[in-house]
Amino acid sequence: MTPETDLPAELLSQSAAAAPDWDAVYAEQLPKVYNFFRYRLRDDSVAEDLTATTFEKAWRSRESYRRDVAGFATWLLAIARNVATDHVRGRRVHAPLEDAEAVRASGTPEEDNARESDGDRLRALLAQLPDRERELISLKYGAGATNRAIAKLTGLSESNVGTIVHRVVEALRRDW
Amino acid sequence: MNDQFLNGLRREPAPAFARQLKSRLHALDGPAVTEARSPMWRWLATAASVAALALAFTFPAVRTAAEAFLDYFRVVNFAGVAFDPQRMAQLWSSSSVDLSTLIGQQVTPAAPPSPPVAYSTVDEASAAAQMPLHAPSWMAPGFTLSSIEVRGEHEFSVQGNTEKLQSVLDALGITDVSVPTALDGQTVSIQIPPVARLVYGDGHDQITLTQSRSPVIALPAGVDVASLAEIGLRLLGLDRAEAYRLAQSVDWRSTLLVPVPATTATFHQVEVQSGTGLEIEIGGAFNGARGGSLVLWSNDNVVYALGGPVRATDALQIAQSVQ
Repeated sequence: MTPETDLPAELLSQSAAAAPDWDAVYAEQLPKVYNFFRYRLRDDSVAEDLTATTFEKAWRSRESYRRDVAGFATWLLAIARNVATDHVRGRRVHAPLEDAEAVRASGTPEEDNARESDGDRLRALLAQLPDRERELISLKYGAGATNRAIAKLTGLSESNVGTIVHRVVEALRRDW
Repeated sequence: MNDQFLNGLRREPAPAFARQLKSRLHALDGPAVTEARSPMWRWLATAASVAALALAFTFPAVRTAAEAFLDYFRVVNFAGVAFDPQRMAQLWSSSSVDLSTLIGQQVTPAAPPSPPVAYSTVDEASAAAQMPLHAPSWMAPGFTLSSIEVRGEHEFSVQGNTEKLQSVLDALGITDVSVPTALDGQTVSIQIPPVARLVYGDGHDQITLTQSRSPVIALPAGVDVASLAEIGLRLLGLDRAEAYRLAQSVDWRSTLLVPVPATTATFHQVEVQSGTGLEIEIGGAFNGARGGSLVLWSNDNVVYALGGPVRATDALQIAQSVQ
């Protein structure tokens, strides 16, 4: 689903007529943005911080989307992408430590067994992906965006998004 | 590994996080005479929210036209009211009422606030603020002017909803106050003129002088403000007799009541620039590791707030030197 089709029909109908119920929009969009960051950055507490930053940036201007709640949802993900990019740039200096954690996560079976869950293991694998591929996976599976929506957000073609996502999932499956 | 597995890493945000963020977002919608950047300002924002709640739910249903706004409120005086934050917390924790959400549902921005803009000189900022800005001629040792910013004028309106207010009172167990049913559906308009902040820093701490022309609150004609204020005071945790006494003794057309947490701060009236102001001294336990002071006063239709991690005597001296 695209961010557009993720929105319940009642919200969309509201967006075409009266003022939207922003609390409902918030409840709908918060898990998408939060999970985008969880897939993208691995650390839950950082995901919370960046989710808050994203909503705070968007919230003041949400009234300009009074008649286009779907536009607000897409715009929110665009802000989230920028916030994530800024965060990643800002912590480049810590990359060696991050890489070390990722290597350890795909180490011996004994080490793997010690990890808390499949989720941790998957996030460790995601941490090894190049930024662009990890972002696409985060949008696709974290935020639940469709290839079309991802294409709109990233500037890639829809088919290109599909190809890259398919290739990355295959690679993850091999490394699992 | 398939789509279902990859989707399985999703988690719902922690409820506490979701709730707190929502409150913060709704707080962004409210009036912003001061920024909520420190515990002191956060407390003031909370106090303002409580006062706004009383306004939010309490205006008559019959007339909504602009011509109904015959009564106007301007800040001329400040008065403190002590409240027990623990008592208030107990009151609110006994229900699932989300104050920020309730206020947010009732507020409509007519002209949303623009982000603050930084200026390099007081003259430039004065032009942006559409008023001559004043600066202290004396400052605490080590502090120098570090930034100037102006937030543009904005307006919002608050829709009265007596049913919601009554439900809040019911949820809080306040049963000896009745909300006037005739006050439903009316709109209160609130105009916040440009707000300027002069920030003085010493490399670690900040002292801030905030100034603005008085906010203007247009009330529907005939509103019994005292009875509404009494409800607001009850929501702060004051008992019935105390709330009634205060509500009847304050001139609500010209006085901004500032709730002060009695366990962590003290307040008293002070003479500032030939007028009467309010000085609040905040203990260290409230303001993180260190205490602080806040002086509020108005002069010539301009409202001032001077605050920072300084002693009360220094804060008052700075306020006196503003010219």
